[in-house]
Amino acid sequence: MREIVTIQVGDFANFIGSHFWNFQDELLGLAEDDGADPIFKNNFMDMDVLYRTGLTHQGAYTYCPRLISIGSQGSLGTLSSSGSLYGDSSSSDATDTLTWKGAVTKLAENPREKNLFLKSLSEEGEDDPNIEDKDRVQCLERDIKFWSDFSKVHFHSKSLYELNGAWTDFQNFDNFGDGKEVLLGGLHMEELNDRLRFFVEECDHVQGIQCTVDDSGGFSAVASEFLENIADDYTNIPVLLYSVRDTFSYTDATKQRKLITRSLHDAVSLSKLSTYSSLIVPVGLPSLGGLAPSLCVRDEKNFHSSAVYASAIHSISAPFRFKPAGPISNTTYAAGSLDIGEIIHILAGQNRQNMVAILDVSMPAPSLSDKANPGGILNSFHALGTEIGDDSEDLYMDESLILNGALFSGADWASVSQVKDSICNVYDKGLRAKPRPSHLSISLTPLPIPLPFPSIFPTTTGRRGEILADQPLEGPPKGSLEVESVPVMTRLRSSISIKPFIECRYNNLLRHGMLRGAKGAGLLRDWGFGKDEVDDMGEHLSKMLRIFNPSSEMTSDSD
Amino acid sequence: MSIRVLNPNAEVLNKSAALHMTINAAKGLQDVLKSNLGPKGTIKMLVGGAGDIKLTKDGNTLLKEMQIQNPTAIMIARTAVAQDDSSGDGTTSTVLFIGELMKQSERCIDEGTHPRFLVDGFEIAKRATLEFLEKFKTPVVIGDTPDKEILKMVARTTLRTKLYEVLADQLTDIIVNAVLCIRKPEEAIDLFMVEIMHMRHKFDVDTRLVEGLVLDHGSRHPDMKRRAENCYILTCNVSLEYDKSEINAGFFYSNAEQREKMVAAERRQVDQRVMKIIELKEKVCSGTDKNFVIINQKGIDPPSLDLLARAGIIALRRAKRRNMERLVLACGGEAVNSVDDLTEDCLGWAGLVYEHVLGEEKYTFVEQVKNPLSCTILIKGPNDHTIAQIKDAVRDGLRSVKNTIEDEAVVLGAGAFEVAARKHLLDNVKRTAKGRAQLGVEAFADALLVIPKTLAENSGLDTQDVIVSLQNEHDQGTVAGLNHHTGDPIDPQMEGIFDNYSVKRQIINSGPVIASQLLLVDEVIRAGRNMRKPA
Repeated sequence: MREIVTIQVGDFANFIGSHFWNFQDELLGLAEDDGADPIFKNNFMDMDVLYRTGLTHQGAYTYCPRLISIGSQGSLGTLSSSGSLYGDSSSSDATDTLTWKGAVTKLAENPREKNLFLKSLSEEGEDDPNIEDKDRVQCLERDIKFWSDFSKVHFHSKSLYELNGAWTDFQNFDNFGDGKEVLLGGLHMEELNDRLRFFVEECDHVQGIQCTVDDSGGFSAVASEFLENIADDYTNIPVLLYSVRDTFSYTDATKQRKLITRSLHDAVSLSKLSTYSSLIVPVGLPSLGGLAPSLCVRDEKNFHSSAVYASAIHSISAPFRFKPAGPISNTTYAAGSLDIGEIIHILAGQNRQNMVAILDVSMPAPSLSDKANPGGILNSFHALGTEIGDDSEDLYMDESLILNGALFSGADWASVSQVKDSICNVYDKGLRAKPRPSHLSISLTPLPIPLPFPSIFPTTTGRRGEILADQPLEGPPKGSLEVESVPVMTRLRSSISIKPFIECRYNNLLRHGMLRGAKGAGLLRDWGFGKDEVDDMGEHLSKMLRIFNPSSEMTSDSD
Repeated sequence: MSIRVLNPNAEVLNKSAALHMTINAAKGLQDVLKSNLGPKGTIKMLVGGAGDIKLTKDGNTLLKEMQIQNPTAIMIARTAVAQDDSSGDGTTSTVLFIGELMKQSERCIDEGTHPRFLVDGFEIAKRATLEFLEKFKTPVVIGDTPDKEILKMVARTTLRTKLYEVLADQLTDIIVNAVLCIRKPEEAIDLFMVEIMHMRHKFDVDTRLVEGLVLDHGSRHPDMKRRAENCYILTCNVSLEYDKSEINAGFFYSNAEQREKMVAAERRQVDQRVMKIIELKEKVCSGTDKNFVIINQKGIDPPSLDLLARAGIIALRRAKRRNMERLVLACGGEAVNSVDDLTEDCLGWAGLVYEHVLGEEKYTFVEQVKNPLSCTILIKGPNDHTIAQIKDAVRDGLRSVKNTIEDEAVVLGAGAFEVAARKHLLDNVKRTAKGRAQLGVEAFADALLVIPKTLAENSGLDTQDVIVSLQNEHDQGTVAGLNHHTGDPIDPQMEGIFDNYSVKRQIINSGPVIASQLLLVDEVIRAGRNMRKPA
């Protein structure tokens, strides 16, 4: 077994993670549910890759994500930081202090109230016949404040870590310097390293670390320090990093100072995070309106956008946990098993050593026999990152394609061979240039839609995510009550398209931070970077750019 | 007011409003922390919105937990926390002292004194108090065998302000022994060599000192012994797992056969490393009743564990990085990075190694070591918040012992120093100051009394009575502190109440600096500027 340890850093990363673990929880539930579609009886997916079996002091077995989630203090909502499974037996009489015989002052925050959905999980509202699932779904659409508000997963007591920076204002925790400051003088890193060790020590053979970082603010500094420690302690474990942002982080800065801060932050963040990871995938759009008409996402809701990103990340992680299937690697349910190390090698280790990949998603993916779409289903992709150029001419593109539960026609799922044939067909007919090498992973299990999934599907979506022809186009979006599962197709590509993304950050660092008299030089000093370190970051970014320009490599090496 | 022209949104407070704002903030912070101080203080229980509990009596922890927004308060809090970072204690005292300095200044300023005079007076008083502290402190001869009693008294003084007496006294011995254990002559004390490990189990009085090491993991093979005596300890940082190094080397297999070959070759290399360890084990252990334990910082995969288990070796993987150093200090031998040239000299020794399992948590005790220079304080408590609080107290206690050894001095506690220093300032220093700076010296001297006053207040005593009787004792030339039970003057020396010299010195140093800065603020401009960093 090849275990994965998952790390989530920052609020938006936890939003995505919350959806991600809901999908896993749904898969686990469906696999045991006799009434569920046989396609979910996935004995080819090994959930132990992401989950661990544990035992409480009281002797009860637990099955929890192998996860470390870092958030700001108070970002857990109604969730206790020690989870719900490992509660100490004495918590009922916790009010008597055992260590102090003198006076006790109790300062209690108002207990946060659980929403209808969470109440139904904890059985408080279960008996109430007046509350239906419809009400629960509506309450989630109305009011989501914390990522835990829509989480249905039990977490391990060592999984949730709250960062309590002495006087850090987490409302304005928006740059690298803030993040560095919050770690100063505290024992945060020590504690995080210990927690990570707890999860890694019990693994026989870790295949990699899957890390989601909200890199729009100070959390990218927290993550980069954590990843630096990981790189030191676990030298050979590959790190697949998603650097995510919500739509709010793209709102235009009006003040020049703010603008400079932000562009320097982006540059520093990319440079630092890429130093300590093996593959970095920027995820986050200023607006998800481009995904219409297949999805109708409300940009102002992190609950919505994070669901889309989580679906893509879930899809990519599917081939990491295909069970080895003996001598024949193709089962009837899945094909193209990969581990984290291999996907990183495919994308970042071959033609070029470009380690910034682009994530494309198609959700719900159109059916394979869709006649209306002559370019084949590969034309339905939407990139989930910004500043992406054109790569139609790129000869050195590497890509990895993953299909989850593709539909053949109507609401019929396609078989593994049908999927393979269709994809080959697209390339063979020359409808799209085939990158070499390209890897294809197929899982017949579609993305299950759990109850706390936002209503983002257009009215024309069927139960299995197919397009219904006879439905009116207008109407309220459909959600988890109408749609059971959707086919998802994702692609990671490493191509020249990412060049503008890196270039922009490099130029900003140069202009605002490194040139003589640059306005942001003082800011970088405030963040604790000496001149040498800034130069190193610049050099690192320019190296990441140089690989797209093989001819200039010789000249730049000589200087 | 030109700022208004530049930025119409800027809020400007004029001089006296600004001053009162800062004074109020300082007093507010003082009020929050006041009840913490001393052995009769109040413990705070913080309950979060999701029911998470945090217990603390430590000003430092409390300051960090409070979501302070006021910039003045943040500035004071930062100073106080910096105090804790550098000397391990005195956070509450620093906040109280700054608050009291501001309070005393407010009175003078209201009567028309310019803050500048007060600041000048503070400076004179500060220097004089520091000089006085040099005379007042009680030197401690450390030498090769430090006086354990005095160390215990300092530790006890600290601990009794954080934990109830029985537990505090029990921990006192543990802490002093721990520091003496890791102390090497002629070298700075590295408190990291005291491991603090906790178990959620039983009651707090089960906390104990382990001469040796407690690791928070165990062996990962069912056939390995759970208990072994007379053990060689191999501390190493060697990968005993099959790494997919071809990925990192940039080589990628092109077919299944090639892949198999790669895997086999890599596997062989790992096996060879394991065999080398087994060879050494056979060499040193065969024919004796000795055992062999490997504690590895890197991973050990199941095939390697199998081999080791069959050879009768106990193996632990993924040890903490810092434990590599601690193990060598505790057991001897050396931490090896390669299994080539292994000899018996590389090995450490422990009389007893055993595993303790609590649910999914495993603990490995490495005990009965020779000449340990590293040890473990094992904290037991029934729940997480109790453990956390004991842990904080233990850290403070360790720092106080370390400080004492490094300062080679202590200061009489229970408010004795403050009363004596005040008397010195009023009797000898005040008249040397010029003009109105005298008011500053006087304010400073009165502010010092905040410590004994608060101690008395927290003990439910009448502050004025207590201060008067203490001053009487001092006027008669006897050094007296406060008995927090009765309110009577006592001799802190007799009672064994001692504070850290370095902590006191730092409070006296930093308090007036911050107070002066705050007093000299003549305008507060709030215009979206980041006011969080201290000047």
